[in-house]
Amino acid sequence: MKKTLSEKEVIALTNRVLAESFEIEEERLLPEKRIFADLGLDSLDTVDLVVALQKRFSITIREDERVRSIRSLGDLYTYIMTVQQEQQAGTEG
Amino acid sequence: MGAVTPLGSDVRAFLEGLLAGRSAVRFMEGWDRYRGLRSLVGAPAELREATAIPRKDRRSMGRMSLFAAQAAKQAVLDAGLSENELGSGRTGCVIGSTMGSACSINETFETMLPERDLSNLTAMQFFKCVSHSAAMNVAQYLNIAGVVMAPSAACASGLQAIGTGYDLIRLGRQEIVVCGGAEELHPTVTGSFDILFATSARYNDVPERTPRPFDRDRDGLVCGEGSGIVVLEEYERARRRNARMRVEVVGYHTCASGSHVSQSNHASMIACMREALGQAGVAPGEIDYINAHATGTEHGDAEETIAIREVFGGAVPVSSMKGALGHTLGASGCIEIIGSVGMMEKGVLFPTRNLENVAPNCAGILHVREPLERQIRLFLKNSFAFGGINAALVCRAV
Repeated sequence: MKKTLSEKEVIALTNRVLAESFEIEEERLLPEKRIFADLGLDSLDTVDLVVALQKRFSITIREDERVRSIRSLGDLYTYIMTVQQEQQAGTEG
Repeated sequence: MGAVTPLGSDVRAFLEGLLAGRSAVRFMEGWDRYRGLRSLVGAPAELREATAIPRKDRRSMGRMSLFAAQAAKQAVLDAGLSENELGSGRTGCVIGSTMGSACSINETFETMLPERDLSNLTAMQFFKCVSHSAAMNVAQYLNIAGVVMAPSAACASGLQAIGTGYDLIRLGRQEIVVCGGAEELHPTVTGSFDILFATSARYNDVPERTPRPFDRDRDGLVCGEGSGIVVLEEYERARRRNARMRVEVVGYHTCASGSHVSQSNHASMIACMREALGQAGVAPGEIDYINAHATGTEHGDAEETIAIREVFGGAVPVSSMKGALGHTLGASGCIEIIGSVGMMEKGVLFPTRNLENVAPNCAGILHVREPLERQIRLFLKNSFAFGGINAALVCRAV
């Protein structure tokens, strides 16, 4: 069975994806930062962000409509926490 | 001019390598895991400081486009072009290659095919894989707003790109064209020639001794990679702004053999060279140097020899750069034009590396066997590609 990651672990792993894939300095990765306006990603980057997150967290989110409503990095952390719990529950069920 | 080549990552290093007679051909570690691949040699270029290209420009670039972007940046700096000139709509970008990034194409299929699953493909793979990847990426990187085209004619792509740029300027459609070719080394690229027994496979343990253009012991081509980019500019415009003019393009032609997809054909090569000379208004005897396509294949080198002998006789010096550089495929036409301009500026003809014993079927032309001090006023460059496609360009000193 896959271990559910803590919030701290989710934040650290998400930040690592953003730093590695999009070359964003770690100190700019704060929950209130908006992904497009503050961190400089665009619509093409979000496709690649989804792929990178799927790989890093072993989750499937490519067709999840909720991805479209994510605005800030804090939203993203919360979303990943939610998805991993849902998919974990789905696996166990 | 700008170049990232197996002999060096800028024009100066490339020319120094050529003049020193160095070989860029290496044994390729790991290629032996490809079952059936006989040729285990290649001429890799070094990818340096790619992060100097901003991430949003770089993210859609495969290895080939990175080479092209670096060479293009060198070329526009060398030409002294301003951002306004690049973005005016009167500047175009024509860069050819055999296909998109070979590494990216392989990655795409390796990601998708095992499970027939597209969900882990990134958005950027498409932009790295498309056939106009280098042209598109360079145009975006340099903010070029004019004509963007990507001639894809395998080993004639680079020379066709220069010829297309020349035509766009002659037609008055563009004033400046950033043009050239780019290519990427990958075992599947070498493999595509290997399947046809067109690669060198007998020198895997002594890579520097192959390829051997025009030589008795040649056994095929060696694939290389890199990019060569030149800036073409309308003559009067360049003169008015006191641009450093290195050479004038005075004749160009491209044509097909219409006879066979892989077998070179001397009759169509002859037609191509004669038409390029005719366009230039130059007699064969006026040409001071021929930079041959000659890749080291048994058939191709022999056919080119027949064609050169028929058009020029045996008095015009001929050499091939492939013995040193390998065959940089779609980039070769432009990289080797840059090498030829370098010879013109230095007043030295570089010899064909690894040409030790001229093959009987490559005799009757004047092979350059050692560095030869010679003033070049006019030279002709050949490129011949699979698909029976020929291209020839004539350049004059200014």
